[in-house]
Amino acid sequence: MMLKAKRKPGKSDRIPKKTSKKADRADSQEDSSAVDHLHLEQSTPSSDDGFDEPEPTPAKKNPIQVTTKPKNNKFKQKNETKNVKPPTLEEMKELRDTQNLFHSNLFKLQVKEMLEELQLKTKYMEFIDSWLESFTVFTQQLKDGLMERTNLEVPLNLQQKPSGFVFSKPTKEPYLIGAAATGTLLGPKIVVDVALEMPKESLHKEDYLNLRYDQKRALYLTYVTERMQESPNYANDQFKFNYLANNPLKPVLELTPVAKQVTKHLQVRLFITAPLSSFKPGRFVPWNNNIRPSFYGDEWDEEEPLPSTQHYNANVLFDLTLAENQAHLEKAFKGRRNFQDGLLLLKVWLRQRELCIGYSGFGSHILAAYIVYLNSQRILHQSSSSYQVARTVWNQLANTDWTKGISLAPASIQTEELTKLASHYDVCFMDFTGQLNFCANVPLSLYQRVREEAKLAVDLLNDMKLNSFPLIFMQKCPLYSRVDNILKITNYSCVNQMLMLHSQPKFKYDYAKYGYPQLLQLLTELLKKGLAERVQSIIPLETATTAWLVENKAPSIGKYIQLGLILQPDHAYEVLNKGPATNEDPEGAAEFRRFWGERSNLRRFQDGSITEAVVWGTAQDSPAKKRQIVRQIVLHLLEHHLQLEGKDVQFIGAELDQVYRLSPWFKVNKLKTKLILDQDTDAEALSPHVIRCYDELARQLHGLNGLPLEIVSISGTSPIFRYCEPQPVLPQARVAGKHILASHVQRVVIQLGQSGKWPNELTALRALKTAFLIEIGEKLEAQCRLQWVMSAEGLLVLKQGFCFLIELAHSKELALLKQEVTERGVTTYVDNPASRTLERHHYILPKVSGALHSLHQSLSAFGPTVMLAKRWLATQLLDDGLWPEMATELLVAHLFQQRNAPQAIAAPQTGFIRFLQLLAHSDFTGELFLLNFNNSWQEQQVADLEHSYRSDRQSYPPLALATSYDIQHAGRLWTSDQSPSQRVLGHVTRLARHGLQIIETSLMSKDLRFVRPAQLFRGSNEGYDLVIQLKPDLVPNSLSYDLGSPFVSFSQPNFHLPPAGADRMARIVGQLRSAYSDFAAFFYNPHGGKELAIVWRPPTDFAPKPFKVTELQACSPCENGKVQVLKETLLEDFKMLLKDFYLRISTPEELKREQREHQQPKRYFNAKQPQEKSSLKPKKQKIQKDAEQEAPPKKKRLIKSSALKALN
Amino acid sequence: MVELEGYVVVPLRPTPQAKHCHSVYMREHFIRLMDPNKPKGRTLFLLNVPPYVTEDSLKTVFGRAGIVEAVEFAAKPGKEETIKWYEGTGEPFSNTRPPFKFKVAYIVFQKSSSIGKALALKSIDLFNSSGECLLQTGMQLWHDEYEGNYLLEAHKAKIQVSKYMAGYDKRERAAAEAAKTGEADADGWVTVGKEGRNAGFEQKASVVERLEQKVARDHKSKELKNFYTFQIRESKMQNIVEMRKKFEEDKRKIELLKQSRRFKPF
Repeated sequence: MMLKAKRKPGKSDRIPKKTSKKADRADSQEDSSAVDHLHLEQSTPSSDDGFDEPEPTPAKKNPIQVTTKPKNNKFKQKNETKNVKPPTLEEMKELRDTQNLFHSNLFKLQVKEMLEELQLKTKYMEFIDSWLESFTVFTQQLKDGLMERTNLEVPLNLQQKPSGFVFSKPTKEPYLIGAAATGTLLGPKIVVDVALEMPKESLHKEDYLNLRYDQKRALYLTYVTERMQESPNYANDQFKFNYLANNPLKPVLELTPVAKQVTKHLQVRLFITAPLSSFKPGRFVPWNNNIRPSFYGDEWDEEEPLPSTQHYNANVLFDLTLAENQAHLEKAFKGRRNFQDGLLLLKVWLRQRELCIGYSGFGSHILAAYIVYLNSQRILHQSSSSYQVARTVWNQLANTDWTKGISLAPASIQTEELTKLASHYDVCFMDFTGQLNFCANVPLSLYQRVREEAKLAVDLLNDMKLNSFPLIFMQKCPLYSRVDNILKITNYSCVNQMLMLHSQPKFKYDYAKYGYPQLLQLLTELLKKGLAERVQSIIPLETATTAWLVENKAPSIGKYIQLGLILQPDHAYEVLNKGPATNEDPEGAAEFRRFWGERSNLRRFQDGSITEAVVWGTAQDSPAKKRQIVRQIVLHLLEHHLQLEGKDVQFIGAELDQVYRLSPWFKVNKLKTKLILDQDTDAEALSPHVIRCYDELARQLHGLNGLPLEIVSISGTSPIFRYCEPQPVLPQARVAGKHILASHVQRVVIQLGQSGKWPNELTALRALKTAFLIEIGEKLEAQCRLQWVMSAEGLLVLKQGFCFLIELAHSKELALLKQEVTERGVTTYVDNPASRTLERHHYILPKVSGALHSLHQSLSAFGPTVMLAKRWLATQLLDDGLWPEMATELLVAHLFQQRNAPQAIAAPQTGFIRFLQLLAHSDFTGELFLLNFNNSWQEQQVADLEHSYRSDRQSYPPLALATSYDIQHAGRLWTSDQSPSQRVLGHVTRLARHGLQIIETSLMSKDLRFVRPAQLFRGSNEGYDLVIQLKPDLVPNSLSYDLGSPFVSFSQPNFHLPPAGADRMARIVGQLRSAYSDFAAFFYNPHGGKELAIVWRPPTDFAPKPFKVTELQACSPCENGKVQVLKETLLEDFKMLLKDFYLRISTPEELKREQREHQQPKRYFNAKQPQEKSSLKPKKQKIQKDAEQEAPPKKKRLIKSSALKALN
Repeated sequence: MVELEGYVVVPLRPTPQAKHCHSVYMREHFIRLMDPNKPKGRTLFLLNVPPYVTEDSLKTVFGRAGIVEAVEFAAKPGKEETIKWYEGTGEPFSNTRPPFKFKVAYIVFQKSSSIGKALALKSIDLFNSSGECLLQTGMQLWHDEYEGNYLLEAHKAKIQVSKYMAGYDKRERAAAEAAKTGEADADGWVTVGKEGRNAGFEQKASVVERLEQKVARDHKSKELKNFYTFQIRESKMQNIVEMRKKFEEDKRKIELLKQSRRFKPF
């Protein structure tokens, strides 16, 4: 480097001093103010009081800065003093609290905000109080009497109808229970639970038996309801019955009071309970039988002990113990805001995870009781903050085991042994009376699930590098998106058949003939045994029953089941189930054979053992095929054991995976290659071929003799090297003349060994690089017999039918691009767009590529998930220019980092659903997606980044992504303001929401099949203004499975190979965008789309405007000296730029009409006439459009269309 | 003929039968600070030139009005705009192309009389006498682009490289030579190299920073830390102030978050 400042050598020395001082000053403005404060406060004796011992680290750093310039104080005193008033003791405590308890103020403040948001308005509280008061008066006015025929239906679906029922008026006042009593009501639909106790007189001694209690309870409810309906107080209210927690024996009254302002959000539920003393104590211990087999007409061997009905007993006990439990809970929660808030936090967390729904749900009352339990165990202190409450509960949930039983009852009351009680249930948490198990209906798998979620919550809280608040409380995580596969049995006769033939009678009595838990029991047991270690857990997916009008008959429920399988990715796709060795354990082998039926064969293995085994596939099967193994097993088991055929059940596993399959139009057997390829192969299975070929090429490159510098590193940067290329790549590339023809070019970046002789000028460096690449090409040809062509981007090499583009990275090129000389003559290196692009391509992408590759190695669902995501975006006509492919990959990688769920995603389809959720529900303005590979971002760096992101949001692109390899460009490297733009981001969000909605309805519905891929993977044709059809034979089709274009019907595909690296469509659209994006947006499907869809900017952009030299683009003069952009002129431009390519221009409506009329799309040779017509037509169309936009939008339109309109 | 704010407006016709044409706004180039490359009186200024129009095509069109010396584009009128437009595009082995968007054009004629003739043109016709377009678009363009610019012919490229490198070496040698002689230039400055007796340190940001750091370090080591009572007290105070500051900052963040209504879980 030369310099020009020799004459004044001292100068340069002084400059740094000055600047450093300046920097110091900026840093320590606060310090100096602190000093000021000190000077001011020294006179007052109390100035030192508030200060405790400082934490050691900051203390070391700070005083230096302070002492460096005490002189400055005088000048600063005036404006800075206001910042430092002496802290009060309270403030000190609060500050210290936040520092110690929470990792950041931010979390605390967010929690505070949320709690405020959740706080119930006083009008509701007042309403509840007055309602209860009036209801108490109402109950007191009730009279005893024989219940005659009612016009209401008794909300109980039983065969045996009760005879007479004598109502006796309640002796105890109704009282609030549940959330209303503990002060933890949660919106948006506030449900106030009120219990009314039947007096003892209503019940007979014998009523414990054979559901008599439940019938009385239902009758009592009916009677009260009827009287209420007659009362003028409730005349206008809406009366409905519903089952509590999907339990058909527990009807409750759902009353929506008609009162001003509360009617929309408030609902009262009336429970009927009975006093604990109604029955003999010990009547309902778990091992007693209270439903006799004879009740269902079954015979029972008299010598056998009666089967215990622990679950039914718990149901009754729930009513009997309610009063006492409620009293205890109320005592613990009353007036303790911290406990109430803590419970609220936990409830929000639980509800977001949908773990509290239905019969098998983990209700929030369990959490309330658990808080009291922890308090009684002295694990939770009375004065713990709400955050501590939640945190402790999670921690304890994660680390304790309830399967052995825990109990709230004091030792004196807990008469029965806990282990004995626990042995009758999966999970055991005894109540205050020591009789009821709160978790009686919670299956083990669901409890485990709650524990895992709790563990995740604690982990998230402990992760200092993360703002865990949205992940814990804000993010919706529907249960269906947390499971890999779903088994759905809705067929009524199948369900009946299973219940009749396969469910054990003891379960029938236990669950009082309720089908759902029997099915759950039956299926989980079978599947658990069959799937063994392939599956992590099998959890029930329930939907809550809907209420019915009191006049209607109670619906029969439980004849339908949906199970979610969470797979163990390491074992789920193993091809073999090995049984015990025949000679060592003949009984075991026989049992194995019985269990698996015909699928089980005797096999001899390489280690010499001969055992029974079931084989589901071969080790060479493609990953997609292996993913079908679980489906095979489940279907086989259902058929073998329960005689259910495949058509009777729905197994939702990999329905969407077909979109990255090879197009059936392309015949593999016509391809000349040494590789063995299947016709039904897919992009995932083809990637390894390319990678293997690349590895070989890398070996050859390393082995080249006679290069002036040796090649030190080779890295592939195309998506295919990290299994993220959704279009199948086949070995079809070939040489034609002096060209290489290839549909895909795989980019490879190489680096050379160090040398000091590279030139210091950009052009010279690039010239040398070119020469070097040509040299490599020549050597490759001579030594390895590979064909090559030199291109402006790099060296194109053809190997085994794949085409590679070798680029040469050199750090000096980057430095020269960044180099700038400041005014003082100092050379600095400043990032600019060109240098950033180069750095990304040559240095950062190889590293990220490696990281993603290893991510795929450890979680094999990553690649296919990215493929699905990319295919989806492509079919929504979003190409790389609108939505960068890397953004998709990084977002999916973000999903696969173990932050979002307790377990890794094993099925790509689930990954894709989560990706849609991420797009649909993320707050892109507030969140920066950080991929901390290898955890290399330090805590402070993350905090700084977050800080800069929040305070300076404008300088970041709409979607901000950062990885640990681009710290200095954080957030700005992968995306820009243009891609994706705010508009496109909004558009994608709406598309994702729409897609999710389709998926959700199909999953949640009893009758619908799961979505067909074509429903999701074909864009909508609405919302576009114009469609430019391109000549189908000039645009080659993609090799991926095509579900059709949104605009035209299928036509004969062509699989011409374009010249390598030409990428014509992308370039043409790129040109159109760069020139005309002020007037229109362009959309096309990058995977072989043959139409270019156009959306004009809003009409205001086309209105006449005054003449301005700088805003004259594309304007023509119109009246009054104003100018205007004319769409016709722009259309002429498009036509000209697309000359030879375009077939015609029309509106989507015209195309649709044409489709309906089954007209053959016009060929370009007879397209001349329609062309001219169509150039006129758009004008008419536009006028209509303008008119339409003024009119209020029609509601019935598809979401998609409105989404696109909003793009304007 | 339409005139608007002193500009002559003419249609730009890519084909003889074109109906909807862009309007190009022309006038004589005149500003106070004249660019020597766009001499006064001989330069025609064009506004709203469509992206696909090339220098050559304009040269041909305006050749009808007189001999054209040069045609230059820019994104918008302004002093350095032309340089910016062509930045990095002339270099060999570079993929940079001028932007593809609407632009302005400067046409420099040899004679000032040509301006009048040019302004009298009825339209800018981008086609020759037989009606063929002067511009290449569509398939032909993409084909030529691929053949001509994307693909490099190996032996030609090699020759080009060696030629360029020879020139570069010459320049380098001359610069090194100049550094050695150590003679003052016209302003009295002497170029100093890295080597030799009078070598200065490299004027790089990193080097300067390192030096600055060293100075700061020296400075620091002379200080006494946490020594006097007032220093200790100050450091405690500092701690409080920082905590408070952070708290306030977070509060502000929350305010921001609140505005975007992110606290309703359901």
